[in-house]
Amino acid sequence: MIVIKTNNLSKQFRVYEKPAGLIGSFKSLFNNKFKDIHAVENINLEIHQGEIVGFLGPNGAGKTTTLKMLSGLLFPTNGNATVLGYVPWERPIEFRKAFSLVMGQKSQLWWDLPASDSFELHKEIYKIDPVKFKKNVGELTEIFQVDNLLNKPVRELSLGERMKLELIASLLHDPKLLLLDEPTIGLDVVAQSAMHRCLYEFNQTRKITILLTSHYMRDVETLCSRILVISGGKMVYDGQLQGLKDEFGKEKLIKIQFKNLVPDQVFSKFEQLEITGGIVRLRVSKNDVPSVLAVVSQCEEVLDISIEDPPIEEVIEKLFVSHRSKTL
Amino acid sequence: MLRHLRLMFCFAKFSLLGELAFRSNFLLKILVELIWLGILLTFFKTIFGKSSNVAGWNEHEFLFFVGAYYALEGFVETFFLENCVEFSELVRSGNLDFCLLKPIDPQFFITLRRVDWSTAPKILLGFIMISFAMYEIGKPLELWKVPLFLILFLCGCSLAYSFLLLLTSLSVWMIRNQSLMEVWWLFTNLMRYPRQIYDSEWALPIRMVFGFIIPALLAVSIPVEFAVKEINIEFTLFLFVIAIVYFQLSRMFFNYSLKYYRSASS
Repeated sequence: MIVIKTNNLSKQFRVYEKPAGLIGSFKSLFNNKFKDIHAVENINLEIHQGEIVGFLGPNGAGKTTTLKMLSGLLFPTNGNATVLGYVPWERPIEFRKAFSLVMGQKSQLWWDLPASDSFELHKEIYKIDPVKFKKNVGELTEIFQVDNLLNKPVRELSLGERMKLELIASLLHDPKLLLLDEPTIGLDVVAQSAMHRCLYEFNQTRKITILLTSHYMRDVETLCSRILVISGGKMVYDGQLQGLKDEFGKEKLIKIQFKNLVPDQVFSKFEQLEITGGIVRLRVSKNDVPSVLAVVSQCEEVLDISIEDPPIEEVIEKLFVSHRSKTL
Repeated sequence: MLRHLRLMFCFAKFSLLGELAFRSNFLLKILVELIWLGILLTFFKTIFGKSSNVAGWNEHEFLFFVGAYYALEGFVETFFLENCVEFSELVRSGNLDFCLLKPIDPQFFITLRRVDWSTAPKILLGFIMISFAMYEIGKPLELWKVPLFLILFLCGCSLAYSFLLLLTSLSVWMIRNQSLMEVWWLFTNLMRYPRQIYDSEWALPIRMVFGFIIPALLAVSIPVEFAVKEINIEFTLFLFVIAIVYFQLSRMFFNYSLKYYRSASS
């Protein structure tokens, strides 16, 4: 079942340009200048039920604007979309009941009250059946391990604790679609891992569809099998994470540890990232891996060797750079 | 309807819990409101110490008017004012997103989600003043007039709410809308005194603009005239109709403004 389908979805913003300084400010009182920005251009995508899709792109690429159009907060300038069978910006009540949007930088919980009170308010707003509400609160607090936090005022919680409670609030009404805008921003590694575990478990048990934007590649690598990459408002990649690695990660990182110091010239024909003591780090094309191994086999006392793909951040960066150079 | 009442009960309950988390602030706000009432009554007593009649209103009728105004102001401040003032901040910060995503009417949620309990005593005090003024007048309000007076009073509240909503909607374009409070202050000053004080010739433009086009002068005057003076059928009906028209207009304008909401960046 298709949960999200867009057809040439585009959004243009008119941005007010004010010259700097006092004179500029006075001038702009009488002569306003505007500039049209294409935040999102002709986005076409299809997301199916139960998928966890990572939505990546540099700052200002149009990720949040797309999410806001899909949640009905923004009207597109062109194109159309259906989300869960509804046109999002018509904002029908049934549509608003069927999904949740969580933004890592914004809070929907009442700041001065404990989260349990905000949950009660959600129950009334979403007309959640009391028995189901009690069951969901119980299950979710157990998954997220936050039983002891429910009665603390939200303002006294840490960022990680608050984000877990934000997620619980957004899941109480059993949404079919979860739109997450940088849900792990500012979280430490432990809190990030907990968030990954919870989201994965929720996706597996309830078949909830998740579209996730993040700047942390760990989020994407851990959770998403499919990724969408957007740059300058345009979709530049839609496919498997491994496919992206294969296309843009045609190199391997090789780390070799020797018992003794290795002369520089041994690996001189390969790109050397580091040679410190007995450790050698190389970046080579996939085709050159056998040649490196042949050289290593001639060396004495090799303690360890590892061959890895370059970090996904590097792969994505290459994709952005390649897209930028094509558009220039 | 029942659901909206349940939601209002929830908003009221959680707002009270929120206020009680900062008790000193809550008590201080109530104290300030009581001081304001004291100043208003002192001014009122001073005026009627010098004259027995102001623009055709005797002391007890005027006290009834002051009570009705105080209750109306209390009603608007308790339920709507803080929410409307906060609206421009919601637009500026992008937190309006969450209000628009909730599966309830956005106008209902945005303008009623917080109840300012510290101004609620004004409603009670206003009605106490009204009852005291009735007692002093010596002629109890006829029974048939009571529900009609309450309906007209609610029409006055609705008119005031509609003005606020129209001004609030402008925040979507203006983003920073501090003028809202300034304009609201102008309206409260127009509502604060009986419309007859603008009967002189020089005040004709004020009477025309604020008596018919933006009828702030009628919000308190007409319900009170209905209760303690001769009933003016035309104006009474006019208030009833204009309250409905303004409510619909402001609702349409508010929904129209939301289409221009740009949602601040993440």
